[in-house]
Amino acid sequence: MLNFTLRRLMFTIPTLLLISFIIFIVLDLAPNDPTGNLPLTIPPEVRAKIRASLGLDAPMYIRYLLWCQQFFINEPLNLMNEWFGWCIGDCENRLRVSSWATRSPVVDLIAERMPQTLWVVGMSYVVGIMIALPIGVISAYKQYSWFDQAGTFVAMVGFSVPTFFTGVLLIVIFSVWMPNDSIFWLPSIYDTTHEVTDWSSFVFQIRQIAMPVMVLALYNAAQISRFMRASMLDNLSQDYVRTARAKGLREKSVLLVHVLRNSMIPVVTVIALGIPQVFGGAIITEQIFKVNGLGQLLIIGIEGADIPLVQTLTFLFAVLIVMFNLVADVLYGLLDPRIRYD
Amino acid sequence: MLDEKKKPLVQVKNLKMHFPINRGILKRQVGAVKAVDGISFDVFEGETLGLVGESGCGKSTVGRCVLRLYEVTEGSIDIDGTDIATLSGAELRAKRPEMQMIFQDPQASLNPRMTVGSIISEPLDEHLNMSKAEKREKVGELMDAVGLARRFADRYPHEFSGGQRQRIGIARALALNPKFIVCDEPIAALDVSIQAQVVNLLEDLQEKLGLTYLFISHDLSMVRHLATRVAVMYLGRLVELGDSETLYMTPKHPYTQALLSAVPHPDPAQAGNIDRVILQGDVPSPANPPPGCTFSTRCPRAEAVCKQNSPEWREIGEGHFAACHFIE
Amino acid sequence: MTLKYLVAGTLGAAMLSTTALADAHMAQGRDGNVNIIYWQAASIMNPYLSGGTKDLNASSMVIEPLAHYDETGAMVPTLVDEIPTVGNGGVSADLTSITWKLSEGLVWSDGSAVTSADVVFTANYCMDETGGCQQLAKFGDVESVEALDDLTVKITFTGPKPFPYGPFVGSTTPILQAAQFADCMGIAAPTCTDQNFGPIGTGPFTVTEFRANDAITLAANENYRDPSKPAFATVNFKGGGDAAAAGRAVLETGEFDYAWNLQLAPEILADMEAKGVGTVHSSFGPLVERLMINLTNPSAELGDERSTVAHPHPFMTDMAVRQALSMAIDRPLLVEIGYGQAGKVTCNVLPAPAIYDSPNNAGCEVQDIAGANALLDAAGWVMGADGVRAKDGVRLSILYQTSTNAVRQDFQALIKQWWSEIGVETELKNISGGVFFGGDQSSPDTFQKLFADLEMYANNFDGTDPEAYMGSWACDKIPSPENAWLGRNMPRHCDPAYDALVAEMAGTADLNERARLAIAMNDMLMQSYTIIPLVHRGNVSGVVNTLEGVRLNAWDSELWNIADWSRAE
Repeated sequence: MLNFTLRRLMFTIPTLLLISFIIFIVLDLAPNDPTGNLPLTIPPEVRAKIRASLGLDAPMYIRYLLWCQQFFINEPLNLMNEWFGWCIGDCENRLRVSSWATRSPVVDLIAERMPQTLWVVGMSYVVGIMIALPIGVISAYKQYSWFDQAGTFVAMVGFSVPTFFTGVLLIVIFSVWMPNDSIFWLPSIYDTTHEVTDWSSFVFQIRQIAMPVMVLALYNAAQISRFMRASMLDNLSQDYVRTARAKGLREKSVLLVHVLRNSMIPVVTVIALGIPQVFGGAIITEQIFKVNGLGQLLIIGIEGADIPLVQTLTFLFAVLIVMFNLVADVLYGLLDPRIRYD
Repeated sequence: MLDEKKKPLVQVKNLKMHFPINRGILKRQVGAVKAVDGISFDVFEGETLGLVGESGCGKSTVGRCVLRLYEVTEGSIDIDGTDIATLSGAELRAKRPEMQMIFQDPQASLNPRMTVGSIISEPLDEHLNMSKAEKREKVGELMDAVGLARRFADRYPHEFSGGQRQRIGIARALALNPKFIVCDEPIAALDVSIQAQVVNLLEDLQEKLGLTYLFISHDLSMVRHLATRVAVMYLGRLVELGDSETLYMTPKHPYTQALLSAVPHPDPAQAGNIDRVILQGDVPSPANPPPGCTFSTRCPRAEAVCKQNSPEWREIGEGHFAACHFIE
Repeated sequence: MTLKYLVAGTLGAAMLSTTALADAHMAQGRDGNVNIIYWQAASIMNPYLSGGTKDLNASSMVIEPLAHYDETGAMVPTLVDEIPTVGNGGVSADLTSITWKLSEGLVWSDGSAVTSADVVFTANYCMDETGGCQQLAKFGDVESVEALDDLTVKITFTGPKPFPYGPFVGSTTPILQAAQFADCMGIAAPTCTDQNFGPIGTGPFTVTEFRANDAITLAANENYRDPSKPAFATVNFKGGGDAAAAGRAVLETGEFDYAWNLQLAPEILADMEAKGVGTVHSSFGPLVERLMINLTNPSAELGDERSTVAHPHPFMTDMAVRQALSMAIDRPLLVEIGYGQAGKVTCNVLPAPAIYDSPNNAGCEVQDIAGANALLDAAGWVMGADGVRAKDGVRLSILYQTSTNAVRQDFQALIKQWWSEIGVETELKNISGGVFFGGDQSSPDTFQKLFADLEMYANNFDGTDPEAYMGSWACDKIPSPENAWLGRNMPRHCDPAYDALVAEMAGTADLNERARLAIAMNDMLMQSYTIIPLVHRGNVSGVVNTLEGVRLNAWDSELWNIADWSRAE
């Protein structure tokens, strides 16, 4: 397993380099101009100078190599400097990957976005899983019962109704219709500057994440509960379940020890594969509730043709996807003794 | 062969198992598959009762019902004096150690994520209060008993061959010292060369531990070899039951005759002399069985009465039962 | 926070001023927090590195120019005591220099004194060629900026500058603190993240936390020149989302106090306002949605010479056609459908400030299909069997391009319908804004290349002086391959009489005389139907009912007077 993991990790390096190059080419070919969104009152000569100051007059391969140097060498060195205080080379004037729109290091922007994305999108994933697993288990165990029918309906709704609809619906109900002094009133705009320091600020944090988390959790739960149900149904009809019953085990142990554990194998894989999406943020939901996480950062970068930002974010997503694919494979091997990678 | 002194360990009376058919958006029940439709038989202590029939006739269902792996629709199942058909959950679990099952597919019937040791010891955890060392010892003994090396206890089922897996299944079934074991086609999924080994193992264990078997199979020759008495099943009902030797030599029911005539003869030279009874048509659907005698649609001797009245299950000789209008 | 500022403000006011009323009601920070939402989030606080309105407005709370424009377009002194003019000697008689005198006793938010050196530094900062300064145009004709003494700055221009109020008037060119930005000149400008995110200023607020493209928290500047202002102790400047959500947050839920730029369908805005939580304010600058006629031939057969003056347009050169196109348009309907409170009918391409608004072109607000048909008949354009007019084998078939935008596509559809009624066939095309307005030389779809018969977009100018704006329709501003398609004379309009007016304006300092010239230029363009104005567009902002003092301003940052904002009782 260790060999397998190391071999796979080694293989990811050329893969990721190739991905980064493809992203760069695609962004470079896209008809986008970082000065395109500036007011028309800015004259063309000034635009040309702005473009030159962003380094856009250099040939493509030079810009790519520069990005590689900044991202693969300068940024890790900078992180080491910040975390451990190790200073290698010229720590003060190291060129970092900088956003064109904000003129600040992209990695700092991403770090700034991480808390709200993890709070909202991460929490919604956790909540979604926590809702989905019991629903999936019970739906499968009581197949075709009213609970299963209701679960199927909710999953269908959660899966097919877009988040921009449920999001706005919740805002209309909980922010607009609900009187402001009601305890059920929820803020429609997420305050990213809010810090949790005590109980009341924690309560406020829960209130402000409540709606976006509900919207996303519904969507996540819809998917995962379906996987869980299908996997449970597969396993419930297996002979070893009958064996377990014949052994005289309690129904609870039959369900939780035998069926659930085996059913979790594919579900855990699906969950692991979904984690990169958490970091990718939920672009639409973040926009609706003004969470301003990583998804919104990416969208702003795309709109403003902020190529270093888009390049870096997209590449980090690629890294996450590749990594979590590996994690899913390794988990599969750990959970299912029948799988051998070596 | 029939020993008058033997008392029945298992008494099944008028057992019915109907599976509901659900259709439509709301999955309402629209009918029922009558997998087992009113059968009665006894299994005597220490004997092997063979249960034979074509695929889909309901014999496996009978096996599962007898151990109450299904909630039976109707009827009683007395095992050692207790009607297990009506026991509550806790009482039933307490009764489980006495009755066990060996399954057809040894691969599917073992939890792939548990080691052999934990598969065998799990019922010990559930029903007995044993120390770890005692449990390890017991698992070892059981593995010895079925001819598996003790060092395999930490391996997973997928690492074994089919025959070995079936031994694991047998060891598991034996863990709680049962009196009665239902063998549900235990050799059907095995290579022919392995089949004999497993059958011999079952016979040895029966001798050593005084087990009682309900041996379900479609392999008539194997049943003849193993069983003390044989019951023949067709479309959810028993058609004939009798002492193994008698039944094979002088089958009374037309279905039994047809079934036996299909068994390949060991001597091909004589095979041509046998009058083969070829049955016409397919087995009717158990969801919609024909009226009267269920065999009437395919029976070479069927007459008008067969289509109207269901034949009585009656004793036609000493310990020999059959259900046919024309047997005297 | 509130209490701290309350006390600090009260003490400060009591110590600094003996004449001012120093009671708690007038103290700085008395009204707590104000929530502002911009659906486009601010990405930087330095307007020299960003042309975005959102960034200009955010930074205008912190850093200030020498003078602002008020909501009528008039200049008001900010860091000076009076606006220099020829009359008071501040502007030299030959119009080549202007001398600004800073107010006495001004301090930065860190307590240090504001001096003329800061102004000189700021000019050099922007004029550094390698810095990528986005306001460079404001310093276009500046020869030198020098400090005469600690408080006096003299700006010398390369030639006579009749309107010398480009640099340091309006929020686009605020004064930076030399001490803070000393290391940020030229190529180092983009690397100064801390400075760009938290400039030290003279404005009513200082940056507490800047989260790029997300939210800014600001606190009252304790060293602000008026100790009783600002009334708010803190500002939460939130960005992100969309205009509808921003409008909802102010007009429906009241979570926010002020929402910028509510570009929403008129009926949606009216519904929101009906909730009674807040009101919609609008202001009108010089922004006009207009059709630009291409007077040159855009045919693809011409290859590299498409849309150049070498090839006149086959039919757009006929004034009857251009006039008929204008007459067929129902402008009030366009306003109602597209902009509601945020639009007005205009018959001028230069409708504001008021002194430049020509009175000579009234009447375009009435649609006249019959008149347009009669005009085309008289000009010899004969209606064909297919419903399209033609003359000498030339059919009136038009390619009409604009940027991708719901309102613009509605306008295209309506106008196409009206033109079909006068026998003009129209093909519609919309191009992503980034491409259309982006200057990508390799793209055939930029608004400068204008490879179409006409195009629609909106344009305006900064500040209040239309000289450069009106000058953009001179002959030498025609985009062509020779000048890499730079220039804003999209119609390729070239008239020596017009160029003469442009030259005359460049030498005229008197405001009324300048207005006469601007109106004359506007009238030439309007009466030749070279540019067809459609809608005078305004800014719409949402203000919650408890917020007082908002004076929406089209000529400067919307937040230009945030120091005067307060909470209603």
